[in-house]
Amino acid sequence: MSRLLIIFWCLICAVPVAAQDADAPIQQVMQAHAVELAKASRRTIQPAIDALIDSGLPAAQMVLERWQAKEMWQDEATGLFVFAEEIDRDTIRIFDVSGPDIGEVPDEGYKQLKPNSGVRGLIAAALVKFQLTSDSPAIRRVALDAIARDPKESHLPALRDAIAVEPSPNLAAQMERLERLLTIPFGATEEDQIDAIAYFEGDLGVDVRAALNPLVSTTIKVAKAPPEDPAVIRVLKPGTDALPKPDAYALLVADDLAPPLIPDTAVRETLIANIEDGKVAGVQVATLSTVQARNAAFATLVAEGRANPAATEQEIDDRLDAYQFFELYTGAPAVALAAQSVLSGIETKVALNQTADLALDAISLASIYFLAAIGLAITFGVMGVINMAHGEFIMLGAYTGYVVQLFIPDHTLSILLAIPLAFMVTFAAGVAMERLVIRWLYHRPLETLLATFGVSIALQQLAKNIFGTQARPLTAPGWLDGSMVINDIVAISYIRIAILILALIFLAVFLIVMNRTRLGLEVRAVTQNPRMAASMGINPDRINMLTFGFGSGIAGIAGVAIGLYAKVTSEMGADYIVQSFMTVVVGGVGNIWGTLLGAAMVGTLQKGIEWLNPSNTLAAQTYMILFIILFIQFRPRGIIALKGRAAEA
Amino acid sequence: MTHTSSFDQKYREGSSNGHHRSRRDGRRAGPQSRPFIQRHPSVMIFIACLALFTLTVSVLSEGFGVGLISTSFVKTLGKTLCLCLVALAMDVVWGYCGILSLGHMAFFGIGGYAIGMWLMYARTELIVIQSLAAAPLPPTAQEISQGIATQIFGVVGASEFPPIWAFAHSLPLQLAAVVLVPGLIALAFGWLAFRARVTGVYLSILTQAMTLALALYLFQNDSGLRGNNGLSGLQNLPGQGATPQSTISLWFLWASALALGLGYVFCAWMVSGKFGSVIRAIRDDEARVRFLGYSVEAYKLTVFTVTAIIAAIAGALYYPQAGIINPAEIAPIASIYLAVWVAIGGRGRLYGAVIGAAFVSLLSTWFTGGQAPDTNLGVYTIQWVNWWTVLLGLSFVVVTLLAPKGIGGLFDLIGKGRKP
Repeated sequence: MSRLLIIFWCLICAVPVAAQDADAPIQQVMQAHAVELAKASRRTIQPAIDALIDSGLPAAQMVLERWQAKEMWQDEATGLFVFAEEIDRDTIRIFDVSGPDIGEVPDEGYKQLKPNSGVRGLIAAALVKFQLTSDSPAIRRVALDAIARDPKESHLPALRDAIAVEPSPNLAAQMERLERLLTIPFGATEEDQIDAIAYFEGDLGVDVRAALNPLVSTTIKVAKAPPEDPAVIRVLKPGTDALPKPDAYALLVADDLAPPLIPDTAVRETLIANIEDGKVAGVQVATLSTVQARNAAFATLVAEGRANPAATEQEIDDRLDAYQFFELYTGAPAVALAAQSVLSGIETKVALNQTADLALDAISLASIYFLAAIGLAITFGVMGVINMAHGEFIMLGAYTGYVVQLFIPDHTLSILLAIPLAFMVTFAAGVAMERLVIRWLYHRPLETLLATFGVSIALQQLAKNIFGTQARPLTAPGWLDGSMVINDIVAISYIRIAILILALIFLAVFLIVMNRTRLGLEVRAVTQNPRMAASMGINPDRINMLTFGFGSGIAGIAGVAIGLYAKVTSEMGADYIVQSFMTVVVGGVGNIWGTLLGAAMVGTLQKGIEWLNPSNTLAAQTYMILFIILFIQFRPRGIIALKGRAAEA
Repeated sequence: MTHTSSFDQKYREGSSNGHHRSRRDGRRAGPQSRPFIQRHPSVMIFIACLALFTLTVSVLSEGFGVGLISTSFVKTLGKTLCLCLVALAMDVVWGYCGILSLGHMAFFGIGGYAIGMWLMYARTELIVIQSLAAAPLPPTAQEISQGIATQIFGVVGASEFPPIWAFAHSLPLQLAAVVLVPGLIALAFGWLAFRARVTGVYLSILTQAMTLALALYLFQNDSGLRGNNGLSGLQNLPGQGATPQSTISLWFLWASALALGLGYVFCAWMVSGKFGSVIRAIRDDEARVRFLGYSVEAYKLTVFTVTAIIAAIAGALYYPQAGIINPAEIAPIASIYLAVWVAIGGRGRLYGAVIGAAFVSLLSTWFTGGQAPDTNLGVYTIQWVNWWTVLLGLSFVVVTLLAPKGIGGLFDLIGKGRKP
């Protein structure tokens, strides 16, 4: 015990000794550059930082980090550097630069080193070297990301050193790419830059294009004759799209080759300045209400020498003709040409990938329309019943999902439960509607349309009364978050993939039910000839009820799916109803493949028009509807028209 | 018979239904030799009722000093008359010709936009000229136009007139646009649709799509009609800044009443005589009329276009009273409500459409205006502002199912009582 105590006391006593350890190697290095460190400036500090790094001491990294964080202080008496933490206003806890704790002391006698932001930037660049060669892959990755975010010329040597010793091939590849990327702007020679540019042939990364674009920037210059410079790309003629006349003239003015033009407002101001007794140059002010009158008055002022003459069109043209305008690369022409060729290759590839992305978008939108329309394909396509409340069944399904999520917080479970529940709710609603409304109106389609409108209006308002007007969330399970990224351009969210798969499942279910089950057989029989079917022992009432319920139930499931990617509101159904009917009608009533084709056409068309006019999805919908109205002119029965007796039904 | 599909129904029941209807209409039409008014006593009765109504409202209004009817209610009544006019058009195209158009409220809106453009331009012009009058130099036409454009299109971030405003400075040209634009759209759309033999529910859906396309187009900011801001301040007539709204509201009431009266006489004239018989026959059995040698498409196109123009005129009178028009007014739901009014009033008879539009729209105003007292059921208090639409939707279902003749059917009962 006593021996332990002795050791303890020895340690206590040893600490102040360590604090004064002026012989520690790192302290030695720092003392060698004490003046620069104490009064750090961006211009002079680099040798000190280099010395610290070149010392190869493990403590160097700690010193740089603490210094950067303004945690390094200097003992004013001895000139020794210490690390310190502020305890309160007057007290600091100091540590020796080689590590040990010295204890709390009053801060008098110590001076905090406060490197400015320029110096801190240099320190950070130096630290990158340590981080890039850190033992932890996570730190190396963070360092790489930091460089990628804010590339600096100073990172380049550190990066090159790090590649050689990087153990992980994955990280090494990333480092290599980053090194090449940094070489594009910061390469020592043009050859280096051109090599680096060639490395990115066909690379789709946004960072590559961001690095290459400044290299091919151009500027327009003016001279009597274009110089024999390889940077000159072409000679421009004023008055073309590339160089409108006012811009060309502005260039002349900027180079003091022509006097500035007098703008129209100046004419007005000159006239106002010269009003005397309600007259300008002898003309009544009240008559100056046309441009001609104003110009005439101004001309008089010019003739009287009271205003500078404005340049005529002819004078402007003469001045422009006297000079040549040419476009030239701002940077080195060889690098610019290399960058240009790689960029145009990349752009072709980007365009191809964008087309692929657009196609994916179109397929995804088509699957949503298909999902919304497939219930209609049953009630309208097979049974011939117009159900304008179909959209509200979609809404009903979505709200069912929302209510289920209120009770079951687990998103995966709640969605799995919501799908059958939504089917049941809308199946019941469909059966009720068929029994109460539609079956009385089977032979009066226009009145079916009106009555179901009534139901639609009532259901929509009912939903508003119950759930309010604001959108309700229907949250997708976590594993559907994010998107599948194929490259920087082509990506598709998992929810959209799920909807696509759901749409395909529905297609399969529809085909199996209609073609492979007893119900499907009876449905087809009742549709084709109800009396014949009835005499074969089929109950048409029951079949109609079930079919309508089935179609409505599918609308409910579609509602859950649509609610996952769009917000649930009382008007969500109304947003889809016209498009759904369009999809069914365009595809051809009574044929599920027609509906599929219709959805594909409507989806592709809408995305295609959006691509032509990207700022405006409303316009895309407008033109799509107009196109469909025209399309129906040429194929009134849709893409796949039923032929023969079935077509008459 | 409930289980029959539309397929064999067409061959069995369709024709008998048709016989029934034409018999009824035949009784009403009477011999062709007597003058038009005598053949249609209902027209005289209607005009008399309308005149009496207008006179009563005018005398009781604030504009005439009695003040029993507030100016805002006079405006509501004036707007109702316009809605009756568009319902009349809807009745001719749907009740008489069998085309369930879900696009007539779009024509109504186009009429409103056409007149609204002039109202907004002319009023802004006065304001701009007034504000520029203080400038040291008199403004040029260009400066004025620039000023107006900045005033009108500032909200959508533009400062130049889009091409469709080319005629906005001229009242006669915009009045012509009220008639011509919807007329031409209806003509083009109808020609395409009828030529392709799009009928029945397909036509309804197609007209609804047209309406949706128009509404979506107008919702864009670069449509040139101020996007979803719409046109506003239409209640202020240019040059009538000193005239009180109570007087202006009466002017519009009279204009609306006149338009409704003329519209009623015109529609009654159109649906009587041979033209009326043919369009009713088209409603009942289109194929048979075609086989008889009539050009069904031409008749349908005429009815569709003429009613579209009537709807547009109604809109041009409606929106100066409403004061504001925006694309939401054109949304498909508005045209559906129009069908609801006509159905509840009783389609296939002109006074039915008028009664339906007046009854339902006034009731709607009453309910949604918050004037209906809440009904306390103990467990739940029904707030009619919210529940009215539910009631309307359900009553629409009930009327369609149980009373296809609508309110107008009550007049048959009275008629039966008088002449057994």
